[in-house]
Amino acid sequence: MSEFLDRYSIQRWLEMCPQGYLAGTTYGHDPDQTEPDEILENETLREDAIRTTVQLVVGERCALAASSGLINAAPDPASKTFLATQTLDEARHVEIFTKRLRDLGVGADQLEATIEHFANPNLVKFAEVLLEKVDAGDFVAGVVGQNIVLEGMAFSVFEMMEAMARETNAKFAKTLSGTIADERRHVGFGENRIGSLIREHPEKKAEIQDMQAEMTYWMLATFSDSFRQTEKVLDEAHRVAEKSGTPVGRAVWHGTDLASASAEEMEAVLAGTVLDEFRTRLARIGLDYKSPPTPAGV
Amino acid sequence: MGDPPTLRERSAPSGPGSPGPVGGPLPGTDDPHDADDPALQDEVLSVAFWFDAVGDHLRRGLSAVTGTDARPADGAAGDVPPDLTPEAVDRLLTVLANYAVGELTALDGASGLVRQAGDRRVKTFLATQTLDEARHLEVFVRRIRSLGVADPDAEIERRAHPALLTFRERLLSLVDEGDWASALFAQNVILESMERTVFDAHRRNADLRTRVVLDGVIADERRHLGFGENDLGRRLRDDDTGRLARRLAEIRSQLDPLVAESFDGVASRIGLAPAEAERLSDDYESAVRRLGLV
Repeated sequence: MSEFLDRYSIQRWLEMCPQGYLAGTTYGHDPDQTEPDEILENETLREDAIRTTVQLVVGERCALAASSGLINAAPDPASKTFLATQTLDEARHVEIFTKRLRDLGVGADQLEATIEHFANPNLVKFAEVLLEKVDAGDFVAGVVGQNIVLEGMAFSVFEMMEAMARETNAKFAKTLSGTIADERRHVGFGENRIGSLIREHPEKKAEIQDMQAEMTYWMLATFSDSFRQTEKVLDEAHRVAEKSGTPVGRAVWHGTDLASASAEEMEAVLAGTVLDEFRTRLARIGLDYKSPPTPAGV
Repeated sequence: MGDPPTLRERSAPSGPGSPGPVGGPLPGTDDPHDADDPALQDEVLSVAFWFDAVGDHLRRGLSAVTGTDARPADGAAGDVPPDLTPEAVDRLLTVLANYAVGELTALDGASGLVRQAGDRRVKTFLATQTLDEARHLEVFVRRIRSLGVADPDAEIERRAHPALLTFRERLLSLVDEGDWASALFAQNVILESMERTVFDAHRRNADLRTRVVLDGVIADERRHLGFGENDLGRRLRDDDTGRLARRLAEIRSQLDPLVAESFDGVASRIGLAPAEAERLSDDYESAVRRLGLV
């Protein structure tokens, strides 16, 4: 076990992260990169970028609270060490996405009010389910919630956003590529470390699967809310692209061309991808995926 | 954002003394935590600033032990400096094991404070401190391993001084209770002062590898102390009732005897002259007194 944990040492983290894929970046992107004028000069697109970025800040704040909160409950120093690197990663994510809000024109004195205004209540509920386990000092459930469910969701969301931004917003795409690399490491730790703990504590399976189902419920509700507002934004983005003569291009992700997809198609491919990932990763640690309760009225 | 050149000038490596009195930007101070400018605070407490601040010593500190990280095979002696006798290695292991306990305490303490911090910038700073403490723990564990110990965790547990473990329990209970000022005082003032006093003394006579490791750790402790001193200084300045000052004095009166007992206990285990242990206690007293908090 400790040999596997050596792969998650601070030395490795240093070589891979600050001295690796983040070398030469400023707040996660190349120093000369800026937000595109098409976003900054169009109120619909700017507000959508702010709304989207707020969800990233909310998610990363939850991840920061969870990873730091789990250190004290970690059963061995090597796991504490990994979680310390993750704590720093999550703090960096909060910082770079908060910086993006500033780059999008949110004043320093408006930050908290803006986050409160745009934060999706379903995402807040999602975070609360996880933090309840962290507060209780439940290391196994906390790591599954954090490093499999939350990070698994973030991984796919960031990948999708990166695919969409690659041709249209190099700064944001670069920022996301660093966070994706981080999330990949976090998910890897969750799978490797927790598998053995689940085998040691099979009695915890049912409780953890309940948590996963509840978090999944709030995650899907967040997706549903978010994409409901996306259709109008997509129309505006297409109109702006057409007006400026920018070629629409293609952004294929998991078989769907995001550049021409409807909001409904985007939601379907994102939700499908995340749930498939959950099933795969949970199976690797010896857990079955549990479907969330059907939302009322559906 | 603040003006980077000014910040770099202000955050140039500081001397061994205290960052200075608390409560705002003071002429002559070189600790960037003292700045009142929100934009400057934004940068000083950021991860980006931390990357810049620690990059160099972090590479040096880890490389000092990384090259010999391979776990000794079949109980081989590892990387024991040729001039160290078996007795000296044993003493060094006791010292390093207790350093590791201190760092483990600091890691659990700093991480526990992240969520309690109200300000996003303070959370970020504490996240960098969490990583610092984990790195210190890692380098001490690697150093222990490099001296031929196959199971450093068990060795640390075996050699940990009871007074230090009691100190750990007390500090973490303050964190668990959500008593921000008291926990920050215990963590970033008392514990950091205690560690810095010992590391300063140890580095003067340490072998080269240990000295390189300690130099990096000391540079970090200086930053942590600066933050703790500044945060608490502001709170003390804003507290007209004197309640906080009394609370911190009470915490200090509880923890100081444990600090002294740890010094004495470890000193006696490694055969240090009583006068040396007494000097450590005096240096610690002076370090805390210089901060002017209580």
